[in-house]
Amino acid sequence: MAVNEKGILNRLYFIAGCMFVFGLAVIFKLLSIQYLQGDKYRSMATERIVKDVIIPANRGNVYSVNGNLLATSIPKYDIRIDALAPSNKNFEAYLKPLCNELSKFSGKPSNELEKQIRQARANKNRYFLLARNIGYSDYIRIRNFPLLNLGAFKGGLIVEQTTKREHPMGGIAQRTIGYERWDEQGNVTRPGIDGAFGVKYLRGVDGKRKKQQIGKGQWKPLSDANEVEPKDGYDVYTTIDVNIQDIAHHALLEQLEKYKADHGCVVVMETKTGEIRAISNLGRNKNGHYYERLNYAVGESFEPGSTFKVMALMAALEDKVIDTSTIVDTQNGRKRFYGRYINDSHRGGYGKISAARVLEVSSNIGIATIIDEHYSKQPEKFLNRIKEWKLNMPLGISIIGEGNPDIPEPGNKNWSKNALPSMAYGYNLELTPLQTLAFYNAIANNGELVKPRFLRAVKEFDEEIETFDKQVLVKNICSNETLNKIKEILKNIVVRGTGERLYSETFSMAGKTGTVRTEYWMNDWEDNPRYVSSFSGYFPVDNPKYSCIVVIHKPSTEVGYYGADVSGPVFKKVAQKIFIDTPIVDEIETLNISKTSVDNEYESFYKTAQTYKTIMPNLVGIPAMDALALLENMQVDVKVKINGRGIIKAQSVNKNTKLKNNQTVVLTAS
Amino acid sequence: MVRETNRHFKFDWITIILFLLLVGFGWLNILSASHIGPTVNYFDFSQPFGKQLIFIFLTFGLIILLLAIDAKFYERFSSIFYIVSIISLIGLFIFGKNVNGATSWYGIGSFTIQPSEFAKVATSLAVAKYISDLNTNMNSFKDQIRTFIIVLLPALLVLLQNDTGSTIVYAAFFFVLYREGLPQYYLTISISAILISVLSLKFGAVLTSIFAAIFVIVFHFFNKKKLRIYQSLFIIIAAFVISFGVKFFYESILKPHQQERISLWLRLEKDPEKLEKMKQTFAYNLNESEKAISSGGLSGKGFMEGTRTTGKFVPEQHTDYIFSTVGEEWGFLGSAFVVIVFVLLLLRILHLAELQKSQFSRVYGYSVASIIFIHFLVNIGMVMGLIPTIGIPLPLFSYGGSGLWAFTILVFIFIKLDSNRINEW
Repeated sequence: MAVNEKGILNRLYFIAGCMFVFGLAVIFKLLSIQYLQGDKYRSMATERIVKDVIIPANRGNVYSVNGNLLATSIPKYDIRIDALAPSNKNFEAYLKPLCNELSKFSGKPSNELEKQIRQARANKNRYFLLARNIGYSDYIRIRNFPLLNLGAFKGGLIVEQTTKREHPMGGIAQRTIGYERWDEQGNVTRPGIDGAFGVKYLRGVDGKRKKQQIGKGQWKPLSDANEVEPKDGYDVYTTIDVNIQDIAHHALLEQLEKYKADHGCVVVMETKTGEIRAISNLGRNKNGHYYERLNYAVGESFEPGSTFKVMALMAALEDKVIDTSTIVDTQNGRKRFYGRYINDSHRGGYGKISAARVLEVSSNIGIATIIDEHYSKQPEKFLNRIKEWKLNMPLGISIIGEGNPDIPEPGNKNWSKNALPSMAYGYNLELTPLQTLAFYNAIANNGELVKPRFLRAVKEFDEEIETFDKQVLVKNICSNETLNKIKEILKNIVVRGTGERLYSETFSMAGKTGTVRTEYWMNDWEDNPRYVSSFSGYFPVDNPKYSCIVVIHKPSTEVGYYGADVSGPVFKKVAQKIFIDTPIVDEIETLNISKTSVDNEYESFYKTAQTYKTIMPNLVGIPAMDALALLENMQVDVKVKINGRGIIKAQSVNKNTKLKNNQTVVLTAS
Repeated sequence: MVRETNRHFKFDWITIILFLLLVGFGWLNILSASHIGPTVNYFDFSQPFGKQLIFIFLTFGLIILLLAIDAKFYERFSSIFYIVSIISLIGLFIFGKNVNGATSWYGIGSFTIQPSEFAKVATSLAVAKYISDLNTNMNSFKDQIRTFIIVLLPALLVLLQNDTGSTIVYAAFFFVLYREGLPQYYLTISISAILISVLSLKFGAVLTSIFAAIFVIVFHFFNKKKLRIYQSLFIIIAAFVISFGVKFFYESILKPHQQERISLWLRLEKDPEKLEKMKQTFAYNLNESEKAISSGGLSGKGFMEGTRTTGKFVPEQHTDYIFSTVGEEWGFLGSAFVVIVFVLLLLRILHLAELQKSQFSRVYGYSVASIIFIHFLVNIGMVMGLIPTIGIPLPLFSYGGSGLWAFTILVFIFIKLDSNRINEW
């Protein structure tokens, strides 16, 4: 070979050098474009920027127990006009017709609209509002108005679609149906069912689509399919019964207006299952109108007053420290406990009465005496009962914002010697209306304490994703013996106790009134006394179907403030209407009475009618009415004269004779 | 005894590790470039990354097979391999499947095989075999011609199938022949011809001819080793012919898309409007690929985070333009890493080739390094706009079963030959 060792080495270096140098060159080029001149290239790269566009998932619907829509999302449209977009010719030609149509649509005068739009064009306003928040059918209508029907570029039509949450039931149960709303800072408020189940069920998962900028404000999708498909939210089926809700809402509203009360609530709960059938919360605004403002039933803890006497008496009965027949001395309506007086509302007092009667007449002194006498040495025993009934803790319902109960205990700062007697008649402790109701419901439900529920099922289309059954909080709140005693008393309260004004012979109900002072710690109370009136109970007395609580805060004392007067009628109205409005289904078997003679008569008539179409039948012996019918239904027109109205005796045309049109047939009947 | 104790270390592990690094990192980038949507099912075999995973898996079987076969087998049967691969290339004219304008594939069901990939291996073996023959002398014109024929026959067949990229690869053998003693003037002539061609295209044939003539005349009078006058004249005429020939070739024979690519590379187009139009059409790939790489910055946007990669801006990104994914998602550090691994692999193979006692192994080793180098050069050059666009994959990195296996065979035959070095004498 001609190539020597050194030459070989040079050639090797040449080849290896080529590779090495090229590698180095690439690295330098990379360094240059990625690092040194990176900014220049990166700014070039932003020309074709890509962004993820969120495709919002459709929010699920909220349904009532009967399948009515309570909340749904529907598209709403804002219509604007780019006043500069139309050409002069089009603008002049179509502006008047457009304004005429808009005038018909909105009720504003046409020439006023024309002036505004002309002004907008003069001011180069490219975003002039024509209509806000209109529905789909209105949007379609406006879209076809003159000028706008030329479209976005020639007519200047600008349509912006937004999704709005609508409550087809209007203001009814609005607070409980609820919503999810975001403010500008991104904070979310979520009252009610819509709020509570937004994240978990209703919202769904938003989709994503990559879009590429192709011009100012113009984005085109990058690929055929969405990168992430939106997944629509589930539908939520609530326990709310629209009919009962309607009754409760209007009964409460009427009473609030009558008593000019500050606010109030009604909750109706199905006894067996704990399903909330109706929940109405109405509060007064500045103008004196009532709206669903806050969910008082769920969130507002307050001193329950006399309705708590039931719990107190039950504890004593269950502990067998007294019986219903135990005599209690209520004295003359004023008794001193540890240096403080307790009064009864009945002047002069009730004297010596039985424990059952104490509850019937709602004697503060009576119940305070019972509890103080038997539990002052061992308040824990009484408190343990309350804990056993879970009255010391929230129910743990799904709606956000449940109020906390407040039960004082020895050692707390609000515990004193007076605490126990005060608690006995419902002061010095706090419960929410829903907690009180749940307890009364347990009495109605034979001692089983169930959790109030707002949800029945979660569905995707018709497929059930999740269903909810009743949740038992306490299997048995007390013995059957105690239960029966307390039920009897609750029944008698309406028959002859504080609730006797509510008594009706037509249907039965049981419950306890409550009238409690509120804001009594304020200085102006004496001048302007304020009360909370409540009524809690269930109906019908035997085999209760629903339990219900009515709480009305601060009724005008000029009109009245006793629980039986203010809240009781709402309860009664709800109970009464539910039973009147519930259709009674009585099935009656179809009666099948047949008589052979009648059947035979019909048979022969039918046969004659089918056989004789143009030929005179034998009519002798059949009733005149039938004879007339036979002749008049023939295929020929005959004139019939009948003498008499009984059974045909003779006919002027013999049987089997062919009849002619306009022929007269004379029949003689008996 | 030595063989027994060194049993497990006889393969060159450095090469193997570099090989695996490229294949593994390559797959990650194929995954990034070809997956769709936010969730990735790694075993979705309908997608390129899933298929490539199967190819990689099968590659390990192939490696074991290649290393198990006796080293002498490759040398002994090299002629057979060559003939078979030539036949398979000819067969394409009859049974071939047309993909993107090139008739380079055999379709078997949903799988396609590209015989030109394997022809590189066969040609390497054949060249090694021919040169290592004791009777071959690279200085003899006859042997030079024969060697050229061995190299150019498959190159020609591939060219006829419209696969320009694969044809260019055969230029790799120039390095091999140069190392094995091809006379120096081949290199001089080649470099001069390329230089004249480029200059002629860039500055025009007349200017280039005058420049070449002046250069030769100066060289003629001032060089110690005098050329004869007729020799210098011949060189000047050749330069003239090349300058004008290239211009003619460029304007009349090249297809429009090839013209445009060269025009873009040499920046012949001055009209900014036309340039902008070019960027929207045939230069789109290059333009997008450059932008993707540059947007990566120093450390990249992160694995599977590249907006231009996931947005599928760069067409063919998982095959020929895979390097732009590296550039965008791994940045300068990642791309430099890839370049360094490639250069290390090339230098390692060259180093091993020089250690070979058998000339066959050495020539083969040079072929391996040169082929990988040409691929690397053309691909990276293309992706970064250093040379005109020529469709050619990045070895071991790009998507494609045929390519991966061909390079695996190429490299591991050499590793096997190298492991047998100790038995050579």
